[in-house]
Amino acid sequence: MLVKLLSGSMKKMWKDYLVLLFGLTISIAIFYMFETLAQNQAFLEANALIASIVFVFHVGTFILALVTIFYIFYATSFILSLRQKELGMYMTLGAKKGKVTQMMFLETLVIGIVSLIIGLVFGVGLSEGIGRLLMARLDFSGEGFHSLYPSSLVTTVLFYFVLFLLTAIVNAIRVSRKSVLELLHADQKTDTKTIKGWKTFLGTLFAIVLITVGYVAMINMGNLAQLGVIIAAATVTPGTYFFFMAMLPFLIKRIKAIRSINEKGLNSFTYAQLDFRVSQLTKVLGTVAMLIALGLGAMTAGLSFYHNTEIQSSMMHGYDIKVHQPTEDELAEMENWKFEERNLYSYRVTEDSVYFSKHDLQANPPVIKELGGNLEELSKEVRLTDDLTAPVYTDEETDNAESIPEQWQTALRTELMANFYLFGDRTLYILDQEKFEEINASTQTVLIGKVDNFADYTDTLAKIDERHHQLAIDYTGEDPTTIGSKYENYTTIKSLANGTIFMGLFLGVAFLMMMASVLMFKLLSSATADIERYQMLRKIGVRQAKLKKSIYKELFLVFLFPGLIGLVHVLIGMEMFSFILIEPYTKIWIPISLFLVIYGLYYWLTVKMYQRIVLPKD
Amino acid sequence: MTKPVVNVTNAQKVFGKKSENQFKALDNVSFAIEEGEFVGIMGPSGAGKTTLLNVVSTLDKATSGKIEIAGQDITDMKQNELADFRSEQLGFIFQDFNLLENLTVYENIALPLSLQGFSSRKIKPLVIQVAEKLGIKSVLQKYPVTISGGQKQRAAAARALVHEPAIILADEPTGALDSKNAHSLMKTMEHLNQFHDVSIMLVTHDPLSASYCERILFIQDGNLYKEIKKTGDQQHFHQQILNVLAELTSIQSL
Ligand SMILES: Nc1ncnc2c1ncn2[C@@H]1O[C@H](COP(=O)(O)OP(=O)(O)OP(=O)(O)O)[C@@H](O)[C@H]1O
Ligand SMILES: [Mg+2]
Repeated sequence: MLVKLLSGSMKKMWKDYLVLLFGLTISIAIFYMFETLAQNQAFLEANALIASIVFVFHVGTFILALVTIFYIFYATSFILSLRQKELGMYMTLGAKKGKVTQMMFLETLVIGIVSLIIGLVFGVGLSEGIGRLLMARLDFSGEGFHSLYPSSLVTTVLFYFVLFLLTAIVNAIRVSRKSVLELLHADQKTDTKTIKGWKTFLGTLFAIVLITVGYVAMINMGNLAQLGVIIAAATVTPGTYFFFMAMLPFLIKRIKAIRSINEKGLNSFTYAQLDFRVSQLTKVLGTVAMLIALGLGAMTAGLSFYHNTEIQSSMMHGYDIKVHQPTEDELAEMENWKFEERNLYSYRVTEDSVYFSKHDLQANPPVIKELGGNLEELSKEVRLTDDLTAPVYTDEETDNAESIPEQWQTALRTELMANFYLFGDRTLYILDQEKFEEINASTQTVLIGKVDNFADYTDTLAKIDERHHQLAIDYTGEDPTTIGSKYENYTTIKSLANGTIFMGLFLGVAFLMMMASVLMFKLLSSATADIERYQMLRKIGVRQAKLKKSIYKELFLVFLFPGLIGLVHVLIGMEMFSFILIEPYTKIWIPISLFLVIYGLYYWLTVKMYQRIVLPKD
Repeated sequence: MTKPVVNVTNAQKVFGKKSENQFKALDNVSFAIEEGEFVGIMGPSGAGKTTLLNVVSTLDKATSGKIEIAGQDITDMKQNELADFRSEQLGFIFQDFNLLENLTVYENIALPLSLQGFSSRKIKPLVIQVAEKLGIKSVLQKYPVTISGGQKQRAAAARALVHEPAIILADEPTGALDSKNAHSLMKTMEHLNQFHDVSIMLVTHDPLSASYCERILFIQDGNLYKEIKKTGDQQHFHQQILNVLAELTSIQSL
């Protein structure tokens, strides 16, 4: 009988259950998505630039599990809030407490299992879809990546099953502890706690200490290595939750206490909306802040690897563009490029030697990159001086001529690409004008230059390198495996970084999706109660525009706090990568502003949707 | 000669769309309430009392007919005008209490004033004053769920009174109160009516509460059935009301 009653009213509240199912399903799908990468060791090790990537993913699993636990406990408490009034009613009609408790337990568990099944199917589909999409965008083969990964499935099922079992027990205990009256009136009860000053102070202090320790660990990641990752994860995550638990109720109470603010227009209502279920709200906001930190962090890291490929490829190369014997077409094309520096050098090639004109080299001395000790000063740019006084220099050991100074050797070999791949084992010479003219060969030129944005010209550079290979065949009789251009260096590094970029973007999308679903769940789950409140306000004569403004304001605060905290986490967290990337903050404005735009749009969209749901129709 | 604060002419309210089977909850009702009058509406359950109140209070639109409040025709007002009108001219006490459960009693009462842009310095004494009058000063900082049904009803009354509206519309305000609380609420209303010239339109089932009114309109099946005026003292009026109600039940049982 009770079962029949329950399933009957479940039909009545199908919208609320749909919301719940949606919230749980997304969480499960995302957790599974993360695990498809985390447990696929072979794929991780083959595709990441970070040596201890598997370990990093273990820590990631830990953080995600923590965040998920908070979220699932919050989400399943929604079942209780949907049901308790009804359960109370049954009890007034004579249902036994044990029976009602049992119902709550079963219902939570059943909903959990149903969403587990849907979530897994959804998760596999999502991994497949997003995986394929990113691979196509990144030109990344992604070998070894499996969207259906058995051990990840098992982990996800076990994790969530245990979690749902726990939440079912908690829900059952909560029902059993409450009296009939408490159940009947549960939906009206505020959980606005009276806040003691010293508790807030201690809580905030604790949160700040935890987060600071985490930040220090992240900044010193290079020294602390794996320990640093563990420390950061174990401090920043609880620190964030503590921060919201201590600060948020305090802040809202503070604002509400200022009468001139609280009693202005609808403000008392707007802040009460936040205050009313503040301990639930802190869980949501903590979770959202962490998901933003993880999602935006993963994305920013991925993009940072992407943007660092250019920097890394410049480590050895002072010049972006190096063209031997440019053709008419190439020269014409390059007319449109924005050169910051452009030099032409003459040389002549014979059977066993390559001769450079000292005159040209002295007229425009090139720069070279000198390797320093550590990562920061790796690529120091040095402009050569025209200290070539002798008439003849060579790189061969001989008594007849001076040997080419080491810096000039680097300049010729690397910057002017007079290297082994192109010219074989020909001897290099630098000759003064008189001697240069005596060489019996036609004059060739090599053009080198720096451009504003290297990545813009990669298409043409690829073609030029093809011609370089042809040139090498002409000079040496065989096609070299490498040619030594910056472009070549760039593509090599890029293909190495692609795996890491893939992981970053894959996880970034996943976490941000979960963030969006958590926020959505928060709103939709409170919609039913809010509809009544807004209707009441409308009855006592509040203009529609004021109600709309109140929603804008309420949601703005809900979006603002976790957004800020998440952003700060990311900004500091990127410092972690400074031991592996030259400039982890390169072009960080791209992912950040991208995030801000999407987050802002999402805010706007949520407000609009929420207004449609809860505001009385005209 | 006083001018009418409420003037209803040929109000009709039909529920249900044209295609469906329709239900006429109000059928050509016409009446007026003079400024400063205390009028009661009575009638059996389902007679259309709440419907009438909703139509007068601009919460619901009449299907046809003309309704004027404080000289303004509300039937062709825009939504925003109606909202402003409600917040300035009308005070509601609903059949269900309709307090916002996430606001304290104080905040609930203060809300109409905040909405009209009163400064918080002016709000406090007004709230305290009305709370004292209704005997709920001690629960001002509590949330609605932690106060009694009678206190809730008085808090709702306080919210309706605090901004001194042109007319108070009350739907069974004493329904959930014991006789002592009902008496004190009715006394307050009577006081407001007599000394502050607040017009009141009160829907009630309770003959004793109704006896505080100056005039009673009885409705039956959406029609105005009878109207009686207080001529003697309250005791006498009470008896008159009971007589009409007995009349009504005898008709119904026919
Ligand atoms: N939204 C609606 N749709 C259809 N019919 C309605 C609607 N609201 C009320 N009615 C019908 O109109 C009639 C009058 O309802 P109303 O609520 O005005 O009664 P009432 O006199 O206030 O009764 P009570 O004393 O029980 O509160 C009833 O028969 C009711 O069923
Ligand atoms: Mg009614």
